[in-house]
Amino acid sequence: MSGIICAVRGGAASQPTINQAIRTALETGLPIYFLYVVNLDFLMRTDHIRVHTITEEMREMGEFILLTAQDKAAAQGVAAHGVIREGNVADEIVALCREMAAEYAILGQPRAVQAQNVFTDDLLDTFSQRIMQEAGTAVIFAAGSTS
Amino acid sequence: MTHLRQWGLLLSLAAGLFLCWPRDGRAQAVETAVTPLLIGYIHDTQAQPVIGATVRALADDDTVLAEIETQADGRFAILLPASIPDTITLQIHRAHFQQSEFPLTTDQITTLHQGQPVSLADIELQRRITPAFWAATLIFVIILALIATNRLHNTLASLVGASVIFAISYLGPLLHEDLFIFNFSGALRYVDWNVIFLIMGMMIVIAVVERTGVFQWAAFMAYRISGGRTWLLLPILMLITGVASAFLDNVTTMLLMTPITIQIALSLGLNPLALLMPEVMASNVVGISTLVGTPTNILIGSYAHISFNDFLVNLTPGVLLSLVGLIIYSEVIYRHDLQASSGGISELLLQRLAERGRITQPGHLKKAGVVGLGMILLFVFGEHVHLLPAVTAVMGATALLVWIKPDIEEMIEAVDWTTLVFFITLFICVGAVQEVGLISFIATGIGQLVGTNLVLAMLAVLWLSALLSTVIANIPFTAAMLPVIGFLTGSIPAAQSKALYYCLSVGSAMGGNGSLIGASANMVTAGIAERAGSSLTYAYFLKKGMPALFITVGLAMIWLLLRFL
Repeated sequence: MSGIICAVRGGAASQPTINQAIRTALETGLPIYFLYVVNLDFLMRTDHIRVHTITEEMREMGEFILLTAQDKAAAQGVAAHGVIREGNVADEIVALCREMAAEYAILGQPRAVQAQNVFTDDLLDTFSQRIMQEAGTAVIFAAGSTS
Repeated sequence: MTHLRQWGLLLSLAAGLFLCWPRDGRAQAVETAVTPLLIGYIHDTQAQPVIGATVRALADDDTVLAEIETQADGRFAILLPASIPDTITLQIHRAHFQQSEFPLTTDQITTLHQGQPVSLADIELQRRITPAFWAATLIFVIILALIATNRLHNTLASLVGASVIFAISYLGPLLHEDLFIFNFSGALRYVDWNVIFLIMGMMIVIAVVERTGVFQWAAFMAYRISGGRTWLLLPILMLITGVASAFLDNVTTMLLMTPITIQIALSLGLNPLALLMPEVMASNVVGISTLVGTPTNILIGSYAHISFNDFLVNLTPGVLLSLVGLIIYSEVIYRHDLQASSGGISELLLQRLAERGRITQPGHLKKAGVVGLGMILLFVFGEHVHLLPAVTAVMGATALLVWIKPDIEEMIEAVDWTTLVFFITLFICVGAVQEVGLISFIATGIGQLVGTNLVLAMLAVLWLSALLSTVIANIPFTAAMLPVIGFLTGSIPAAQSKALYYCLSVGSAMGGNGSLIGASANMVTAGIAERAGSSLTYAYFLKKGMPALFITVGLAMIWLLLRFL
């Protein structure tokens, strides 16, 4: 099994990443695995008791976001799948690359995002090296996007 | 184990009913006998009763003839021994107040000799600033700072505060007598159990309703009704969010509305923030239209004895006026985003959206609807039989548990015990600063500034609370302000209508629109939006939210002035 891993969050910022994944898929003929990671850290200080309900809601939202990306890929004749995970975004990207024995991982090029985002300038190189080392997956950067 | 937990929850609810059921006032009345009895009333400089003051009747040689403590209403009745000396001095002692002594008059002693009761003139105690004053004040400020800066979880911050207050109260006097703040039973006097049980009851009701899928269905219906016309979709979503917030807490409302709204926005090729910002602002505005819509209203209602109906009559029209202003404002500032919508939606996405927008538990929703309707009727008409809202909420929650028979483990988890602990410990922390006199000094200061001018007082409370709520968590702020408002209401003759409480309600809730950290619902919305690729930053929220604050508070102000002047 091989393919292209593309983590998405939806929104305009993710479009260049999705476009890059589709371009790569058209060039290589590999299927795309769009990944959405449910992460509820933002609830830590507000409403942790709703975790069960909100996890369901976030999964539904994630599936919808994946569906929009898959829809876009399908419109260009590219086979695309959606994968939902829960946890840390970086860890889940690496894990999926490893599980799928992915050829490529598409990452967004950051413009100005929070320090804790795995796709910031400072951490991007380290993260791409980690993907290479732990999963043997080549990283392609999509210009002008955050994820 | 499961049965034990079931019984535990039911016992908690039963305890709530018992604690919140209005008592027969006669049972608490002081029994007066025709004996040598001294009856009096002690109050502070704000005419508030002084509870727990020690009243001693002393003979010439300082022998204690009798001793008693003032009750919850500040009154005391001290029974003297049969042999009355010719001179009696009354000594009054209370922590955080100056000790007071005065001799009884000859006439009063003669009356006592005749075995008749003597009713004394009201006694006013003067506050004094003690080391405990500074300790409690410092702790309270630190708690507010910790909550505002997110250094500690709200509950942990107030729990630490309450613990330090107790440590100082019990261990401090070993170093200095005046480090005593209050003892445990004194602290519990400040805990408002009506608030605790009302919130607990509503949490259970919400837990049942949120699982039915009614929010997702309503949002999808908004999409269907609007027919993809985004200018129409926006106000419908705001209205749905607002109505939901009026009966459920704002955080839950936004937790459920945000994901489905993002999906609708993505379907329409619309910037999700163009729908989410107006929604969360509507939630903050309309949430205060009922007693149970926000924790701040629950606090205010319980403290000032403002009923469900009072909020509907005195606040809801102003809230609706503000909502109209907010809708117009939102349509204007997001007009480009709304026009930029692609409008089209693929069959696949529409099908998916329709799947999401369905009632998942119709049976539960029907039952919850029946119970909810019953609760609203009791909220509205219950005041005629002195039925407290907390009792209604607990009865409603119990009815749902018995009727629906949900997984009791999940229901126990749905009660946010963390929040309840937060409220209990917050009451203790606010009680500490009230006990040592800080609130009294603040109230006096504001009272001197506004005098007896109701308009000035209303504007001051409204705008001060609105602006402060953009940076200070509105629950501790409201809890601390209530005694201040109580004093102002007592000292301004025209404020007996409780107008200032409504100003506090409006200010503390609508002020949440001024900044991202102004309300928990804002933070939750931003968190979910960020995970869908739409960053709701502090600067963005400030830019869009601050004008909304001025518009909504301004419109509510017009209503409040018209209503109460």
